Amino acid sequence: MPGYVQVNSKVVQVPVAPGREVLARRGAMLAYTGQVTFRPVTAAQGIPGMLGRVVAGETVKQMVAEGSGQVFYGHLGLHLTVIDLTPGESLQVEADRLLCHDASLTSSVHFLGQQGGIRGAVRGAMSGQGLFTTQLAGDGSAVVLAHGGAIGLQVTPGRVVAVDPQAYVGHRGQLSVDVTAKVGWREAVGRGSGEAIQLRVQGQGVVYVQASEQKF
Amino acid sequence: MDAPLSPVTLPVDDNINPYAFCVDLQGEWFLHKGKMIAYYGQMRFEALTVASVSALVAAHFSSPLYADDWVVATGVGKLVLGDRGFDINSYDLDDGNLTVRAANLLAFETRLELLQSIVPGFLTLLGTGKFLASSNGPVIFAEPPIRVDPEALVGWADCPSPSYHYDGHWMTQNLVGLLRGAIGIVSGEERQFDFTGAGTVLIQSSEKTMADPAALRMMEQQITALSQAEKVHLHRFLGTQLTQ
Repeated sequence: MPGYVQVNSKVVQVPVAPGREVLARRGAMLAYTGQVTFRPVTAAQGIPGMLGRVVAGETVKQMVAEGSGQVFYGHLGLHLTVIDLTPGESLQVEADRLLCHDASLTSSVHFLGQQGGIRGAVRGAMSGQGLFTTQLAGDGSAVVLAHGGAIGLQVTPGRVVAVDPQAYVGHRGQLSVDVTAKVGWREAVGRGSGEAIQLRVQGQGVVYVQASEQKF
Repeated sequence: MDAPLSPVTLPVDDNINPYAFCVDLQGEWFLHKGKMIAYYGQMRFEALTVASVSALVAAHFSSPLYADDWVVATGVGKLVLGDRGFDINSYDLDDGNLTVRAANLLAFETRLELLQSIVPGFLTLLGTGKFLASSNGPVIFAEPPIRVDPEALVGWADCPSPSYHYDGHWMTQNLVGLLRGAIGIVSGEERQFDFTGAGTVLIQSSEKTMADPAALRMMEQQITALSQAEKVHLHRFLGTQLTQ
């Protein structure tokens, strides 16, 4: 079964077959061939992880594509990146930026900067970064949206990467993300560098950043 | 940094980059208002209502609804066009027909004939010649049978006009959708354009459409067909919409 095919930088072609359903952001379907039906998914229908999402306030509505055929997805003319996951690997991405993924992937909601407990969560809120990220795990593919495409940065033990919260798209692998705030008197008087709040990523894996500090 | 372009180095009827196009003007082109970004040479831009171009307009531009939004460029020189940073593609028609979303059509040669499609918001081009269309992201060419999100559709060529396909599954699974469907309001999610037959369908890379300046005028024209009671109903409906 061929996987996700990137038609151009902004459109992905996804095969759908029985047993290979695809979850996608609602309204992101551009076109499809074959016999495919779309069904909105809500927490009530018991898709694993959906209830948690609703509780967590992740309001991105999703739909599932069923049947057999090819579906084209794209959203707002944003660049997209296909990320293939192997069993045992997990991808954390902000729900806003998730275009579509195999329904076979298990999704759950995580705190960003959970290592810091409540403090980390508060920092997450402070940085304007979504408090919650969606974690995808299993065998399959996911597509993430980003201004100008997502750039993967390798993180290895001993090589820490600092990322601007607005440019952060997601990460995969065994990584810990910590929100650091270096707020001094300069920020207080409005003469800061604008880079006071950063995400420090360490461990083993890949962190994805976009070529813009604009969120959507 | 590339060297600055001059009339000699500007491409002839080709893209300068994905977002700008240079037309080698020798005569006349129909042009969407406000899409000219620069030109070299001697050119005049005239509204379609000007007497000097009236014969041309009568023969090649049979869409009074859109006449306000178009001008005729006359002269000789290099004309650079752009459209809000959207991708621009040129298409060559060879004794063919192509229907394109009015908001996406940028310019066309006067050899072509423009007609208003019966699908609201779309224009049909007939004949032989070149035209330019913009799109949000690159255009994908697909062959029927295919179903396309109405917002993502740029146009179609050589195949029969599309029909609506309603996804009943979506409506029945979505309580809100069902309720709305019953009272005639659709969210658009369950509705697609269904293409059959042989031809080509043009799809843009986003479901975000460009505003169609004629949409309002089109509705105004349709309102004249309503009875007095229906107009009162519409008035009330608009009133509730505005207060929401």
